[in-house]
Amino acid sequence: MVKKRHNPGVEFQKQEQTGISPVMSRLVQKSPSLCTDLPLDNSDICTKLYLLRQLLKSCFGPTGRLKQVHNNIGGHVITTSSSSVLLPAISSSQSFINLIKTSILNHVSRFSDCGLFAAILCLSLIEQAKQSGLSFSVAIKLNKHLLGLCTGYLQQEDCGCKVKLDFCSSHNLITLARSIISSKPACVLTESEALHISKLAVHAFLLTVPCNRPGEVRLGKAVTVSVEGHPVLNSAVFPGLLVDAPDVSGIDESENMRSNPLRVVLFSASLAGDLSELGDGIFDVHPGVDTDLQILDRLLELVKQVVEDEVKLFVCQKVIHPVVQQHLKSRGVIVIERLGNPLMETLTQLTGAQPVATLHTTIPAKAYGEVRDLSIIHFGSRTMLQLHPPGESSICTMILCHRNETMLGELKVAFQKTEHVLRLTLREPSALLGGGCTETHLAAYVRHKSIQEVPETLSALGCSQAELLLGAGGFCRSLESVAAALEHDGGNSLMDLTHAHHWTHPADVMREHLDESLGFCGCGLMEGSPEQRRAYLNTNYPQFSPAPLSRDTAVQPRVLDSFAAKFNALQVAVETANLALDVRYLVQDIN
Amino acid sequence: MLACTIVNHRQHVGLQKLSALAGITHSSLGPNKMYKFIRDETSGESALACSCFRLLENLELTCGVGQLVYETVRAHQKVYGAGSGCLLFLAGAWSRAATECLQKGVPVARIISAMSEGMDVCLDVCRKCSVSTESLGAAPAESCAATSQGLGLNLLKKNTAEASQASCHLRGTRQAADKTLNASGRRKIKLSRHFYETEAEDASTATQPPRRKAPDVALVAAGLSHGYVGAMNLVIEASRLQSKNNPQDVSGSTFDVSKVATCVLPGLPEENSCVLQGCVVHVSDEQASVAHHLKEQHLKVALINGDLSDTYRHLGFKRLQAVQCVSDRVHFLSSSKAEEWTEKVLTLLLNLEVNLVVVSGIASEKVIQRCCRLHILVVEKANVSVLKALADATGAVPVTYATQLSNRCVGAGVKVAIWGDLAGRQTKPSTAVSVSTGERDGLVTAVLASCVPSKLQALEDQFWACAYRLHHALTDAVLLPGAGVTEMLCVHHLRERAERRHDAGRSGGGVQQTKAGRAANPYRGLVMNLMAEGLVDYISTVMVNAGGVSKVRARTAVSQRLKNHAENQAKFSQLSFAGEQEDGSLRCSDAPAAQVYDGMSVKQEAWRRALDLVLLVLQTDAEIITGVGPNHDAAEGDMMLL
Repeated sequence: MVKKRHNPGVEFQKQEQTGISPVMSRLVQKSPSLCTDLPLDNSDICTKLYLLRQLLKSCFGPTGRLKQVHNNIGGHVITTSSSSVLLPAISSSQSFINLIKTSILNHVSRFSDCGLFAAILCLSLIEQAKQSGLSFSVAIKLNKHLLGLCTGYLQQEDCGCKVKLDFCSSHNLITLARSIISSKPACVLTESEALHISKLAVHAFLLTVPCNRPGEVRLGKAVTVSVEGHPVLNSAVFPGLLVDAPDVSGIDESENMRSNPLRVVLFSASLAGDLSELGDGIFDVHPGVDTDLQILDRLLELVKQVVEDEVKLFVCQKVIHPVVQQHLKSRGVIVIERLGNPLMETLTQLTGAQPVATLHTTIPAKAYGEVRDLSIIHFGSRTMLQLHPPGESSICTMILCHRNETMLGELKVAFQKTEHVLRLTLREPSALLGGGCTETHLAAYVRHKSIQEVPETLSALGCSQAELLLGAGGFCRSLESVAAALEHDGGNSLMDLTHAHHWTHPADVMREHLDESLGFCGCGLMEGSPEQRRAYLNTNYPQFSPAPLSRDTAVQPRVLDSFAAKFNALQVAVETANLALDVRYLVQDIN
Repeated sequence: MLACTIVNHRQHVGLQKLSALAGITHSSLGPNKMYKFIRDETSGESALACSCFRLLENLELTCGVGQLVYETVRAHQKVYGAGSGCLLFLAGAWSRAATECLQKGVPVARIISAMSEGMDVCLDVCRKCSVSTESLGAAPAESCAATSQGLGLNLLKKNTAEASQASCHLRGTRQAADKTLNASGRRKIKLSRHFYETEAEDASTATQPPRRKAPDVALVAAGLSHGYVGAMNLVIEASRLQSKNNPQDVSGSTFDVSKVATCVLPGLPEENSCVLQGCVVHVSDEQASVAHHLKEQHLKVALINGDLSDTYRHLGFKRLQAVQCVSDRVHFLSSSKAEEWTEKVLTLLLNLEVNLVVVSGIASEKVIQRCCRLHILVVEKANVSVLKALADATGAVPVTYATQLSNRCVGAGVKVAIWGDLAGRQTKPSTAVSVSTGERDGLVTAVLASCVPSKLQALEDQFWACAYRLHHALTDAVLLPGAGVTEMLCVHHLRERAERRHDAGRSGGGVQQTKAGRAANPYRGLVMNLMAEGLVDYISTVMVNAGGVSKVRARTAVSQRLKNHAENQAKFSQLSFAGEQEDGSLRCSDAPAAQVYDGMSVKQEAWRRALDLVLLVLQTDAEIITGVGPNHDAAEGDMMLL
């Protein structure tokens, strides 16, 4: 077929057919609302929940499968496995599904990481509660209780799956960063590339922490700039802010460098010389009045003041009228236009300038900001201006490079997540063991604790011992199924019966090579040995108290998860599952 | 939302789609490209596509994989201007390799790690077998260019398979001779991509002392022409003109494509194609007469970055939608505003003594006419890079509005010439003029003519492919041996690596590796062999397209060559295929060779992008299609509604 992008003829015809005449109007009777009783018994909802779980499970972890997200009319294709891209693309006809989705997305927007963990756990919990045959009210109470056990344990000092982060060494921070970066297979990174990006992420994070500032500490910002078509290893971090400046050939560097610091003015109002900010409506204009010329005159007046105030760098969020640009450049002022909204806040922070939002007053002196100096950076085909703040810098720019758009997009997402997670470590300087070890460890702990529950708690919960065991079994199986979801190539997931770490046996290794292939556990803290006893996940292994590992400082975990993100994800998952179990009716207005 | 699971684990639909898409481009590989007609059944429209990129551009690819392919190819084409066919072919070949692995039960993670390692092997081979452009320029430039053109279409008529067998019989004696002649590593290539009669290169080239010298552009270009001799000759001419104008670059070690433009002339025979200094643009007859009046003069120029009309506003300017005039009198001045503006601009141009206005957008008809009357030439639709080059050379400052013009913005020293005069033909009234600053701007334009208008696109594409190839080769300063030699070396090394690792995995080394946390990949050998198979497929397809041999014959020839190479490996340096001659006779070194070369960065990048594409599709197990209503036809395939 020959591509036909624009075919006005066809469109016109369609409009004629579907167009409703505005003159005619008729009344349509409202249809009654649709009410679904016990949504979890509805087979349609159950299939969709199952489908969603399979979809998200297959994306989980470093060997997860990718999804192509696109519309059916040849739009842009995104290839991804991260929840923050995937979930917004999913919208279901069932509001029940959307309820769960929204809850998970809210977690992702606040913590960036562990979105898939929360979603898979939540959906597993719902399924387990259904299978257990417990009444939903009991299941909800039990889930709450078991969640309490988990969160209590995670907050203990001697928690067996927690690692204190030591800010004296970057080792654990890099491990944490690498765990997140390498859990995004759509980035298609080699090991050395993943390490390079992780180191840069930690570097960028450290650059955003101010060190010599008394009083209230405000974290800076790491801005990402993506450059397509360069090898990943060319990615780099620059202190200060890089802004695109395609036309800086005329800048006389030496002259501008002399007067340090440079005065900056920042406009958030459009200087395009139009009246777009007046909004819609009809304007009455006298003939002979040239509005464009009048606005231009006003702009030139404004510029005159700016030049008199010895501003050397003129930045506008939006478009600047070419005449104004010409005028400024001829007076030696560096002009940057179309900065874009995302960079405005960062530039305000960097320069201390207050964005000017109107053209109709004189600019107060305090609205001006300063930069210490600026330099021109060429990166690939891009020319950028590097701005340094007058004081200590807590702003840096990360240039991310990748070979193609798809992978670069995912890399950018992964990098921003990492940045956020590293920031979260400042609030809670610990991390959890990754690779599924935290999940199996918690499952073993909960199983053990719930066996030992004293009668008082049982009566407080209002359930029998058998019900508790049933509920705990479902809860633990859910946790274990999350760990097992890390394996996608038909391998088996196991847990050792002393420390309850997570192990995988690849499906393709022969029986005789099994001992060799065991290697390390999911997080890399434990090494396999023949005398270790292991059980397959989701089988009836005997309950035991998982012993914390004796800390050998020489062995460092290889995979770490964010404590804050996972802690919150756990709570979100259980509470969302409880909410879903609690829904009795769905009322839908179908008009 | 619709989710459509596409993996049946052993039958990856995505990989199959990729392979099928790649299939349509088989005929666009190699020097003899075949045109393809694309016809739209419903509208009856058709398009002529002569390259992989144009083919994809004209297809309506709605599936996810198709979109991904098109995006990848477009990105590659934008930077390299060539190599899209190679990219897509290998993506197809390697997706078949991946499918076969899946069918044999190899886990996805293993395929990925082995294929990435295979890619490292191939890229390493490229680095090792590259030839510096400087080492090519041993022979005098003129004779080389002449010979290479002469050899241009001398396709090998002989049966390639027979030839290669014949040559291997003779190899023993040749090798002995080679050794005595020259023991140091020589870089020679045989098995020309176009299967020209190739002669051994002068042995003295590689043994020359490594002194820094400029590459012989003509020789480099001849090796990169890949069958487009005509287009490449234009590129060589463009490069010559450009370096002549640039005093810093007399040697011609770079070729700036951003200062090259093309101008198509439908209706003239192809022999009229030529390269001219400056920027050549179409003008109306009236403008041509102004140009005639202005020729041979040093003109003052104004550059307008935008349209030359009173209604034009700069990018980002939002017009008021509804403006009403309120007045107590009736005005009949509706056209006066435009008139006023034109008058103002003309006065300004006259005051500034501007004779030439170069506009990047379009100019209003009225302004052009008025300017013509005042002997001011207005040239429209100039490239932004042309504008920039003119600005640099003349000191003019491009402005958005003509009213911005001042003395400071006007440049001087531009000449215009009428194309017909330049080309020496007066038969037809010419409608193209060239704008040039002579020595300073480095601008060149290739004028491409053809009697068949639908062929012009192809000619333009060919020219740009050659221009980009030369540009990147001179920037890289290295070349890869072409005509399948690099690919064959990669095949050889891939197979070698496949063997080696297989053994290491079986022996005690495996335990060590597990200790290090990296289990030996038991499938490495299998995956790498399949990858090598993809490259063999590539070479033999190129042979089929080039020489009319059958696929089977081509494959036999390739595998024979590989076998020969493997057997004699001990005697060869890391560069193989040297010293063989088609007819076995010991040619004298005075016959210069028409070697075929490939660009290094373009090839490496095409391979890498191809593999990236395969890996992305391989890891994808579902398509999520957004914006599909519940009443959509859900029976379609294995779609699932969420």
